[in-house]
Amino acid sequence: MNKKLNLYFDNAATSWPKPEAVYGAAERQMREACGNPGRSGHTRTLEADRLIYRTREAIGRLFNIPDPARVVFAYNATDALNIVIKGFLEKGDHVLYTAMDHNSVLRPLGRLRRDQLITTTIIPCSFQGFPDLEYLESAYQPNTRLLVINHASNVTGTIAPLKEMIDSAHKRGVKVLVDTAQTAGVLPIDVQNDHIDFLAFTGHKGLLGPTGTGGLYVSPGNDLKPLREGGTGSQSELDIHPESMPERLEAGTMNSAGLAGLLEGINFIFDVGIKEIQESELKLRKYLYAKLQSMKSLTLYGPSDSNQAVAVISFSIENTDCGEIGYILESSYGILCRTGLHCAPLAHQAMGTFPEGTVRLSPGFFTREEDIDHLVHAINEIIRFTTG
Amino acid sequence: MVSSCYITFPTTFFAIRAESVLKNQPYSFKMVPVPRSISSSCGTALRCSCEDISALKNILLQNDLELEGFYRLEESGLKTPVATTLDLDH
Ligand SMILES: Cc1ncc(COP(=O)(O)O)c(C=O)c1O
Repeated sequence: MNKKLNLYFDNAATSWPKPEAVYGAAERQMREACGNPGRSGHTRTLEADRLIYRTREAIGRLFNIPDPARVVFAYNATDALNIVIKGFLEKGDHVLYTAMDHNSVLRPLGRLRRDQLITTTIIPCSFQGFPDLEYLESAYQPNTRLLVINHASNVTGTIAPLKEMIDSAHKRGVKVLVDTAQTAGVLPIDVQNDHIDFLAFTGHKGLLGPTGTGGLYVSPGNDLKPLREGGTGSQSELDIHPESMPERLEAGTMNSAGLAGLLEGINFIFDVGIKEIQESELKLRKYLYAKLQSMKSLTLYGPSDSNQAVAVISFSIENTDCGEIGYILESSYGILCRTGLHCAPLAHQAMGTFPEGTVRLSPGFFTREEDIDHLVHAINEIIRFTTG
Repeated sequence: MVSSCYITFPTTFFAIRAESVLKNQPYSFKMVPVPRSISSSCGTALRCSCEDISALKNILLQNDLELEGFYRLEESGLKTPVATTLDLDH
């Protein structure tokens, strides 16, 4: 048996490691700069406000959002998706979403549907995870108001044809919500060029920041109904939450330590360059995919052309429980990955891996080729062991 | 008698955005806690010289900022400063 390693292949769940500056900034914010953002006017508070503003600007620069007032911070992508879904939709609306969508989309929509507020139609996806665009064309109804797109699948890495789907929706006056949980910081995203109405992002994956950070972009002219109201440090004498963005959709003390870290994560992305990050992840996916492809009794899911995917690969091994594979990878080899259904049950149905699930490998920017070599060696040994 | 002028904002976002928009402009100003004699929505105000307040206001409006109020405060000994709401459109 090999010497136990500590190899992380679960960047689609949360990225690790973070750039060194991320740890330092979050700690510094708590130790030295801690003031309650927005509350009272002493200098630490002002510093916290400035930090949050700079983080908004950085998000703006990353997604080409001209007005930082349209950048709203939230706990994570799930929270941001809920804010849009529950703040935008009204009784009687019809919503389109795809089979690749995550539970953070399926469940809030499911609640509204069960409460008989909305109706929904699922756009089926191919075995490789691509939405059926012909089906989409036929799925609109007169009351369709929103199309939700998972920019890239957290199960297969499949990148959705964003442009075609957005064009299709906009031709009918339907707004589009894009879930960038797997693509922010990894693929170039331009809300103006791509004509995105609502964008949800999470801070702790490709943006390399701490957990508990994320948010959304709300395009001008789309004022969402707030899900929560509370302290903002402004208009304190009124029992009316501020109407103007971004405070309209933010309430309570902001996660300034988390956002301090997130700012450094985004700065790291600017320093390296998003194109470089994209290329480096593409190279890793190609390398890993090619190695896995050559293995017998292993089934690979998702696009074989890595140009159509982010660095996420799902596989299963004939007659072997995927949870068992994950357990052996960790306990015998020190390799961390994720197994099971990955919070996207419809995606597994599309691939025929429901309810068993898959083993998911997601390298990140800091993964080295030699890490992949160790991983491949381990999987080879497991196959030899389990298939006799 | 010394007087200074203040711009107040509806939210913290706009206070900080104002600071950011004005930082490369040739005016001196300071972000300060809103004086007690001015009631304001947001806890931070911009203090500037009364000569500059119109110019600063125009720059901020050109940048799509939401502003709340404009005030002049007279400092007279220990007495609470008197805030005058300024009507800058005239
Ligand atoms: C496609 C997709 N959407 C949404 C989420 C939710 O992100 P978070 O857990 O940060 O809210 C994830 C990851 O968990 C995801 O992969």
